[in-house]
Parts: sequence; structure tokens; C-alpha cells
Amino acid sequence: MLTSAAEPLLSVRALESGYGKIRVLHGIDFQVAAGEVVALLGPNGAGKTTMLRALSGLLPVTAGQVRFDGRDMTNATPRDAARAGLVHVIEGHRVFTQISVTDNLLLAGYDVPRAERAERVEEALAYFPEIAEKRHERGGALSGGQQQMLTVAQGLVRRPRLLMLDEPSAGLSPVLVDRVLNVIGRLRAQGTAVLLVEQLLEKALATADRVYALVQGNIVLEASTDESNLAQRLERAYFGHESHALVTP
Amino acid sequence: MTTVTATSAQGESGAWRAALPHIAPFLGILALALLLPFVSNDYWALIGTRMAIYWVLVSGLNLVVGFAGHLAIGYVALLTLGAYTTSVLVAGNVTPAVPVFLALPIAGCVGALFGVIVGLPALRLRTFYFAMSTLGFATIVTQIALAWQSVTGGGIGIAGPEFPAPFDTPWGFYGLCVAVAAVATWMSANVARSRYGRALIAVRDAEVAAEATGISKPKMLIAIFLFAGALAAIAGGLFATLQTYITPDAFTFDLSVLFFIAILIGGRGSILGPMLGTIILTILPEIAAPLAAWSTFLYAVLLLVIVLVMPGGIAALLDFRNRRPLASNRAIVPRPAALADIVRRRTGGKHLKLRDIALSFGNVKAIDGLDLDVTAGQIHGLIGPNGSGKTTTLNVISGYYAAKAGTMTLGEDVLPPGQPALRAACGIARTFQTPRVIGEASVLENVMIGGSVEGRATFVEAMLSAPRNREDERMLAAKARALLGVVGLETLAEARADRLQHSELRFIEIARALMLDPDFLLLDEPAAGLSNDEIERLASLIKAISARGTGVLLVEHHADLIFDICHQVTVLNLGRTLAAGTPAEIRVHKEVVSAYLGG
Amino acid sequence: MLVSILASGLAAGAIYALVGVTYNTMFSTSRVMSFTAGQLAMLGGVLGSMFTLKMGMPIIVGFVLTLAACAIVGVITEFVAVRPVLKSLDQHLYVLSTLALALMIQQIAAIKWGTEPQPFPRVFGLGSGIWDEKFWLPVVACAVTIVALEYLYRRTLVGRAFVAIAEDNFAARALGLPERNLRVASYALAGVIGGIAGFSGGQLLLAFFANGALLNFYGFVPVALGGLGNNRGAIFGGLALGLFQQAANFLVGGIFSSVAVFTLFIVVLLAAPQGLFGGTTARRV
Repeated sequence: MLTSAAEPLLSVRALESGYGKIRVLHGIDFQVAAGEVVALLGPNGAGKTTMLRALSGLLPVTAGQVRFDGRDMTNATPRDAARAGLVHVIEGHRVFTQISVTDNLLLAGYDVPRAERAERVEEALAYFPEIAEKRHERGGALSGGQQQMLTVAQGLVRRPRLLMLDEPSAGLSPVLVDRVLNVIGRLRAQGTAVLLVEQLLEKALATADRVYALVQGNIVLEASTDESNLAQRLERAYFGHESHALVTP
Repeated sequence: MTTVTATSAQGESGAWRAALPHIAPFLGILALALLLPFVSNDYWALIGTRMAIYWVLVSGLNLVVGFAGHLAIGYVALLTLGAYTTSVLVAGNVTPAVPVFLALPIAGCVGALFGVIVGLPALRLRTFYFAMSTLGFATIVTQIALAWQSVTGGGIGIAGPEFPAPFDTPWGFYGLCVAVAAVATWMSANVARSRYGRALIAVRDAEVAAEATGISKPKMLIAIFLFAGALAAIAGGLFATLQTYITPDAFTFDLSVLFFIAILIGGRGSILGPMLGTIILTILPEIAAPLAAWSTFLYAVLLLVIVLVMPGGIAALLDFRNRRPLASNRAIVPRPAALADIVRRRTGGKHLKLRDIALSFGNVKAIDGLDLDVTAGQIHGLIGPNGSGKTTTLNVISGYYAAKAGTMTLGEDVLPPGQPALRAACGIARTFQTPRVIGEASVLENVMIGGSVEGRATFVEAMLSAPRNREDERMLAAKARALLGVVGLETLAEARADRLQHSELRFIEIARALMLDPDFLLLDEPAAGLSNDEIERLASLIKAISARGTGVLLVEHHADLIFDICHQVTVLNLGRTLAAGTPAEIRVHKEVVSAYLGG
Repeated sequence: MLVSILASGLAAGAIYALVGVTYNTMFSTSRVMSFTAGQLAMLGGVLGSMFTLKMGMPIIVGFVLTLAACAIVGVITEFVAVRPVLKSLDQHLYVLSTLALALMIQQIAAIKWGTEPQPFPRVFGLGSGIWDEKFWLPVVACAVTIVALEYLYRRTLVGRAFVAIAEDNFAARALGLPERNLRVASYALAGVIGGIAGFSGGQLLLAFFANGALLNFYGFVPVALGGLGNNRGAIFGGLALGLFQQAANFLVGGIFSSVAVFTLFIVVLLAAPQGLFGGTTARRV
């Protein structure tokens, strides 16, 4: 699936973003190659969600550049991003509760030609047999874990080049977490890149090829998951024993 | 307290000099109003009188719309009420005839009463709902005036009251109306500049923060609805005289629109702006006679333009001071040492005790049997992953959420669940995750809000600018300035708060909280969005605050800040205490490390 | 008397309900309560009378043109009074911008059309007495509109997109739905519904510029009763309001019926600010 060896699928340079006056990201440099699974780690409030939102156009980029698949996607609308294959599954399993599971998926394919829509929905449902069984039920009738699967399935309807998942494991039982993360493995096998924001450190390290650690809006660590003593290095990056310690007067 | 007393001594003459630029435009308008009889004819007397009468109403309504931010679009109803009350009393077709100078105050009282009745829904209803309820009231008042023929004369109408000499000539009546307008201006300006005026804006723009400083929204709103209702009804009485004969047709909704739009064109939170707005809107149809039929249309266009292009209105155009750029290289340099001059030192202060607190939202247990002890004079850190209940705990302590079970005590006192507005009086102050400041008020005013419960003057004293109110003002301003010095922002005291950077707003919130001289301070992620330098300064400021005997509860994500300054740390997970101890103990706690890393 | 109350009450109630649905349709995609809802219904009457009586067009042509014009006014509302203030954090701005636009519409109608109520033509010329079409037409129009809306929301993808945006605007945007276009479409739809309300109620309310302000209020009451965005609540609320108002009208006289409606409105709002049919409160802290 590699389009060109020179340019990664997603490359982010000196990205700054935030909410109104509050700047959360202070110049992020970041890359994801085609077909690669990258985990974005970091403590609460570090700016992980902000970063995904800035990439998918849900938040304005105030400085820096986002390139995706060889095109400039800085401040593209969420719709343009999704059309280009940069698909964002937001946190908190926010499915539409009033309409059926199938309708939730059809909506994800709103831009897809009508003829192809049903096929795409089936394709996405194939990843999650247990929500395929409930396709006629309202989104609100699903359990939290099933809703989370549904949001991932919504993302898959788009046939993404890069799927960004924001805390897909939040609030799920360990069994379900494995089920959702398992899908990531299958996607990688098909050449889909995944950018994963994840709280469960061990799971994230097991799933991803590479990790970035984000602390206070800055990337403080980038490593391949097969490097040794990664957990200790992350702990140090988070708690700032060295790099960010305050000078105690 | 030394600085506070020192600055208030020199206050009297300095206050006058500072106030002069604010008063000058009003004196200018008054001078023009007094000149009018010498340069024009009776026709302009009529227009001038109408202008003055409208302003009497608008000056009161301005506190409701411009300061408190409640969209009362049906105030013509109170004008109608005042006009009929005065006319009926003077005509004596229900009661024995009453002299007009007695009828007018009676109408004012009736108007005040109805002002509160119409305004009360504002305590629960916001924006569109409240606008609709005043609109509904406006329609039924006209319909009642039409139907209640025995009293109001129905569609035929009733004669307006006549004033005795020397007010029975056009210019004599004009003089009377200008005098009433001047008094109304003076009183509404007094209210606006007092802690009541600031509290109104605080409730409008930062309601939650206003509650935390102990401002009681119901009391505030009732006071201004009384005031605005009385002025509207008195304006109605004068309006009836001006019309000489009133029918329900005289009180069209277009008048309401004029009053309302005059305020918005003038700009929120200003007195001069709405006054100019009233003048402009009254004159506009006169100087462009062919446009008279289109006047309401023009008002509506003006309103749309104001909303879309110039939300600050005329007041923002005239606000030259806030157009000067602020220094761009400014830094926040707190001087914690100065705290000693302002905040009294506590010995054996109060401890905060939470026992078995539980709270759930729906099926989610946000807090599940929490015990927490915060010692006076200590900094207590509260950390944990997202959704672990940190901020919820703060909100339970400050009364925004009522715990379903458990007890809270501060010293000997039991803190009642809920009731955030009572926490300030208990000596609890707080800051917020996203700074909640009043963007349209100056930095100094924002800080002064924090001392609202310390003022002693009543609303009436504030309205009449009584000595006790002036004393309050001096005390609050001096203390606020001193505290701005402590947090290192005194150079920005006069700037509008919405021009400041995010990090500066965080320090303003701390200064506001310190106005209470609190026994207990709750800080909700004070370091979020701050640079490393600023965090360092924040740390020494918090330490200085706790060193004066104030207990500090600190919710924070920055692990390094927590471990650096806290005496005790409690780690929450899923609404329960995961671990508690000194920073050194917590740091090596295996479960904490994994919870924090999300392992 | 009871049948007259029923006939006129249901007719008026159906009009109020349709105006309520107009409010809701605009609210669902934008979270904005627009003062133009009642004006759209007023235009339905005034334009309908203008096209058919003044300009002598066939009823059906006048009807279609009226709805088209109302749809355009709906879209203008979105562009002029809603879109520019949506981004603002200041929640009260939309009240002012839509109020300004509503006043402009009303003034143009008053000046161009005249300030006196003018007749509205018979549409089918069917029925008399309590079965007069002026009574049943609004009820039928209301029923047809509801069925059409149900079809739209339940059977079409566009309709489901409206539902999705109404429930969670952010998630809908993240999903890549063309939220802005859908919002414009919903305002056009609201214009059509308002136009239907005015056209079907033309014989009952006449073509009168001041109906706008009146319907703004009487159309908002069912929304307030039923809860923002709740169409079912608006229908029940509208019909109940119509019956209550007409009953009060017959029993205690016209003036006091408005007082009764107003009192009911305030009492209900104070007792249940979220409406009688539920809804959620926003988190404050």
C-alpha cells in the first residue's frame, strides 16, 4: 500500500492547536507511515484528544502543517479529511441512540454512492459479529462495549487509509478491549494505518509498532515498541523526574 | 492590613479626579438639554420631553438588559401600567382623585411590584424563554387595558394627568422630565458602579463563579426589577401627560423594541451608550420624516448590524482606553511576600473533613464513599486518572453537587450539601478548571467581585451613593489592587479581562479567591495551560498562601507540581481513594504509578 | 357549545402545533430558537392571500409559491441570523439576531401588505358550520405534515442525518456529515412547515401582519410545554393549548383567555423548565 517511500502517509510539522485562548499543543512533529500502527500515549490533559481533533479538522490548527497522503490537509474540514481516508473515531462511544445500528453505519457512508453503501456497511459489520446481530436495534439499546464497536465500525465504513481511534478501550471489560484491539491487528494486515490513543499501556504497547508520548502538549518520547525498558522510560517522561522537575527552592 | 488603610486615606480627592472623565459626557448632555429651550421651538420641546421620558424607563431597564443580561423585550407593558395607574388615580374614576405628584410615586410602587412579578421568571428561565414571557406579558397588558372599560375607558381611552404650574407649559414639563431623567441617571449609575452593579454582570457572564463568591442571584435580581419597574411606571405617568390622552393603541410593541434596541445599540454594561442610543433612536424618525413608517424596520436593521458586526455597541466605540495595546512582553511576577500585608495569619485554623461522601450521576458512581482530611495551612493534592472524581469532589465541597450520603465539616461547622452561594460565608473560595472571569469587566472589577460578601452597604445605600457604600468601594478596590500586586498583575488592573492571556486569567482567579481571605482554598487545575516558568511562580504563590494558615486543596494533572509542593496527596480512582500519603510515599506506590500510567 | 370549542380549539391548536414544529425543526440542527418561526406562519397567510386573491393565481399554484417563498425566508434566517452567531459563545446573541430579522419581516409585511387583516380564499370550498374547512383544514395539514416528517426522519437517510445532528452535533461532524448543508436544509424545511401552518390557517386567522408576533408566542407555548426539539410534545402541547384557549374563550371571554394562557405558560415553565415531556439539564460546572 505504500504510495511513495519518501513521504509517510501522515506527516505533521510544528502543529499548534487548542481551545480558544488556551493553547494545548505546542509544536508537534509527528509521522505515521502507511500500514503502521502508532500509539499516542500520555497522561491526562497532555493533549492527545486535542491532537486527533486538530488532525481531523474538528479543532482549528493555529500553526504548523498537516500533510496526508501527499496532500496538504491543514485545517481541512472533518468531511474532507474523512473523504481523503483520514478517519477519526472520537472518544466516549458517541453513537446516535435514536436510530438503528444499520442507520448509524449508513450515516457514516453518507458521502458514499448509494449503490455501494450497503456493501460497505456489511463489510464493516463483518468485523463485529455481535453488533451485526443487533443491526435493527436502536443505538441506545447497545451496551457500552457494543457502542464502542459500533463507532469503530462507523469508521471502517469509510475504508480509511488511516484510522484514528481515541481511547477505544475506555469503560470496556478486558475481554471486549481485546476484541476491539484485535480488529486493529486485522486492519494492519490489510495495510490500513492506525493511530491509537490508549490509556492501557500494556495493551497499547502490545498492539502498536511505534509509540509517541505526549506530555503537556509536547512530544517527549518516540520509540519503537520493541525497544527495551520502554515502560520505565515512559514513567520517567510522565512524572518528569528528570526532564520536567521543578527547581525546588 | 497596612496597605489597605494607607491607600484609602488619599482616596477622596483621587477618586474625583479619576471619575471626572466618566462624568463629563453626562454633564455635557445635561448642559445641551438645558440649552435646548433657548435655541428651539415647542416642537423640539415635545421631542426632548419624549427623549427624557424614554430615558427614565431605559435607565432602569438598562440594569436588567445591559447589566444583568436578561432579555426583557416587553417593557412597554410597565410603561402602560404606569400610564394607566397615574391617569386613573388623577382622574379619580375609581378612587377619590389623587394629586399628580402623589399619583406618580404610587404608580412607581405599582410598577415596582409588577416589575418583580414579570421579572421573577428570570430566576429560572434564560434567554429566549424569558424574552417570550415578557413578550406575552406585554400582549396581555394591552388586551386588559382594552377590555377593562370601566377603569381604563377601553378603546376610547382616558385623559392623561395634568401637572400644576409651572409644569403645565411644554417647556415647564420638559424641565420636570429632564430633572427626573437626571435623577434616574444618577441612581442607576450609582447602582452600576457599586458592588451590586458588578454582581449583576458577574451573574450574567460568570454565574457559577458569582455563586462561589457568595452573590445571591435572587436578591440581586429582585432589587433591580423593583428599581426598573418603578422607573418604567413613573416614565409611564409622564408619558400619559405628554400624550394628553391615552388609548391602548399608544402603547405599541414598537415602543418596547425601541427601548430594548436602544440599550443594545448603546452597549452592554454601559450607561452612556444606552443614553446615546435612546437619543439617537428618538431623533432618527424626526429628522428623516419620510422614514417614519420604516422606523421600526430601521431599528431592527440596526440591531442586526450591532449583533453581527459590533457586539459592543456604542460603548465599545467610545472605549478608547481598551484600544491601546497591552504590553506584549509582560510576565506574571507574583510577590507572595506581600501577602502578609493583606491576608491575616491564622493560628489553629480550620480543618476540612469529608466522611463517606457518595454521589452518582444516573448509574455512574462518581464518588463512592470518599474520606478526605485537609489540614489547615497545608497543601493537599488530589490526583487520579480522568473520571476518577477529582473535580466532582471539589464541586461537592463547594456545593454545586449535593452528595447523596456522607458528611462534610469545616472546623466545627457542618457544611450543608448543595447551596454553593453559602460557601463564601463559610470561608471557602475556589478557582475553576476553565477560568470563569467576566470578560467585559476590568481586571480590577473581576477581583473585587471576590469580596462581594464583605460589603456592608444595602442596595438603597448603593443607589443613593451613601457614605457606607463609598467606604465599601474604597476598601474593596484597595484590597483588590493589593492582591493584584501579590499575583503580579497590578499593571493590568484597568484592562478588560477578555484581552488577557489564559495564564493571566488563572492568576486573576486566584486573586479573586483571596479577596475572601479564605480559610480554605480549592484550586481546580491551576497549572493547566501555564508555561514552566509560570508553574514555578504559581507553586511559590500557593506555598505562601498555605503558609498564612489557609488550607489548600489542589486538583492537578502536573505530577511534578503536586509532588513538589504538597504536604499530603490523595489519589482517586473510580471515585474511591486509591492511596493517600506524603508525596514521597505516593511516588513509589506501585498501584498509583500504574493507575496514572493507565496500566 | 362543546362542539364549537372542540372544532375551533383543535383548529387553532393544530396551527400552534405546526408553528411549534417549525421552532423545533430549526432548533434540532442549530440549537437556536428563532423568532422567525411565527413570522413564517404569518407569511404563509399573507403570501397565500396575495398570490391567490390579489394576483388571482389558482390555489395550488399560490400554495406552492407560498411554500417556496417561506422556504427561502427560512434559508435567509439561517444565513443572516443564525450562521454568523453560531460560533459565538455568547448564547443570547441568536435571540437578538433572530428577533431583528423577525421584526424586519413583520415590518415589511405591514408596509407592503397593510396593517388591516385581509381575507383568505376558500381552498376547497367544502363544509359548513363546525365542519367548515377553516376548522378541519389546519388539523388535516397538521396530520399530513406529521406523517410526512415521520417518513422523512424514519425512512430517508437525510432525515436520519437530521436526527443524528440533533442528538450529537459533534459526533455528526466527526463522522463527516455535511452539517452545514443539512442545517440550511432544515431551515428550508422549517420555512415550508411554517408556510403550511399559515396557509392552512389562513381562513381562521386571516392574512394579517400582526399574526407573526401572536403565533411566535402561541407557537412557543407548546414547545415550552413539550420540551425543546420534541415534536410529539409540540403536537400534544399545541392541541391542548388550542382547546384550553378556546374553552377559556367561550367560558370567561376572549381577554381573559389570553391571561389564562399566559398564566398557564408561566406556571408550567416555572414548575418544569424542561417541559412536561422530559429533557435534560446541561451541566453547569
